[in-house]
Amino acid sequence: MVSPASFYKIAGGIGVRHARIIYHWVMATPQQFLTRVGSSTLGWLQAWGRVLGFGARVLVETFTPAVYNSASRSVVLKQIYFTAWQILPGFLLFAALLSYVIIQIVVTTARNYGLSDFALEVSVRVVVLETLPLLTALFIALRSGAAINTEVALMNINNEIRALEDAGVDPMRFEFIPRVIGGAISVYTLTLLSCILALILAYVAVYGLQPWSLPDFSRVIARIFTPTAFLTLTLKSLLFGLAVTLIPIRAGLEAPRMMFFAPIAVLRGMVRLFFVIMFIEVASLALVYM
Amino acid sequence: MIWLANAAERQALIDSLPEAALVADDLPLRANLSVLENIAIVPQYRQNLSYQDAADRAWALLARLGQTGCALKRDPDLSCVERFTAKLLRAVIQQPPIILIDRPALLLPDIHYPPFLEATLQALAGDCEDFRILDYAWNAPLYAPR
Repeated sequence: MVSPASFYKIAGGIGVRHARIIYHWVMATPQQFLTRVGSSTLGWLQAWGRVLGFGARVLVETFTPAVYNSASRSVVLKQIYFTAWQILPGFLLFAALLSYVIIQIVVTTARNYGLSDFALEVSVRVVVLETLPLLTALFIALRSGAAINTEVALMNINNEIRALEDAGVDPMRFEFIPRVIGGAISVYTLTLLSCILALILAYVAVYGLQPWSLPDFSRVIARIFTPTAFLTLTLKSLLFGLAVTLIPIRAGLEAPRMMFFAPIAVLRGMVRLFFVIMFIEVASLALVYM
Repeated sequence: MIWLANAAERQALIDSLPEAALVADDLPLRANLSVLENIAIVPQYRQNLSYQDAADRAWALLARLGQTGCALKRDPDLSCVERFTAKLLRAVIQQPPIILIDRPALLLPDIHYPPFLEATLQALAGDCEDFRILDYAWNAPLYAPR
C-alpha cells in the first residue's frame, strides 16, 4: 500500500491538490469508488439543474416589464453593439466566403453526378438551415461568450455583484438579463443576415447574375422553408442566442471568490456551452429530418 | 465617529444598520463603468431616470467635491481619493438615512484622511443627514480633537 505522502512525492509535478484527488480515486475500495462516482454524478446534475433554474428565472424576468428601465436598456444596447454591430462587416464577409465555397462545392458535385436540379435545394439546406446558424453560435460563443464568462467571474470574485446589490441595483435585472436579451437578439440577427446573404449567393452560384430565374428560385425556397423548417430555424437561433450568454453568466456566478478560480470558471462555462450548442443542433436535426 | 475595538464589533454594527449605505473597501466600483456611470447607474436603475438626467445629477455631485476630472475614468485609473469620492457619491445619490464610511484608512491609504474626510462631508452636508465614520480606536490620535 502506497502512503499518501509518498504518492504526493511521486506525483510532485501535478500539485498536491490534484495528487490527492488521484490518490483517493486509485486507492479507493469499491464502495468508496461507487460513493465518489455517485457524488460526482450528483454534483454534475446539480450544476445542470442550477443552469436550468437560472435559465427559467431569466425567461420569467425577460417578460417582466419592470426589468426594462433606462439602465437595463442601455446594457441591452451595449451588448448588441459589442456582440453584433462591432463584428458585422468581418462576420458577413467570412460568412459570405464560406457560404460561397460550400455552395460551389455542392453545385459542382451535383453537376458532375447529373443532379443539377437538386443543387440549389441541397446547398440551401446545408448552408442556410444547418451550417450558418451553428457557425454563428460558435463564433459568438468564442468571442462574446468567453468574454461574458470572464467578466462575470471577475465581477463575482471582486465582490462587484454585492456592491451593486448594496447600492440598491439588482445585478440580475441590471447586468445579466439585459446581456441575455442582447445576446439572443445579436445571434438571431447575425444568423438572419448571414442566411439572407447565403440565399443571394446561392442564386448567383446556380443561375448566374440575371433576374429571370427568380420564380424558379422562389419555388425551391418555398419548398425548403416549410412552416416547420422556418419555426425550427427561428427557435434554434433563439436557443443558441440564449445559450451563448446564459451559460457563461451562470458559470461565472458559480466561481468561488478566489482569483485562481477565474480560468476554471471560464473553462467550465465554455465546455458546457459547447455541449449545449451541439445538443441544440442535434435536436433540431432530429426534429426536421427524423 | 464610531470607534471600534475589533472586526467582530465592526460587523455587528454594520449588520445592525441595514438601512445605511456602506462605503467600504470591499464594495468596489463596477470595473467596466466610468465614475460618472457608476454614480448615475443608481438613479437610472432605481428611479428610472434617463441616462442624461442621472448623469447630470452625478456630475453636479462630482462638481461639488471638485472631482469632475475623474468623471470619465474607470476604476484602475483612479487615485485613492478619486475612488473614495466615487464610492461616497454612489452612496450619497441613493439618499439613504445613514451613510457608513467603513475603515477610511483602507479607503484612503495615501493621505492624512481625517481632515480630508471632514472637508468632504461638510461639502455634502445637505445631501445626507447622518454620515458615520467607522474606525478602529487605535486610529483615534489621527483625528484632531473637536
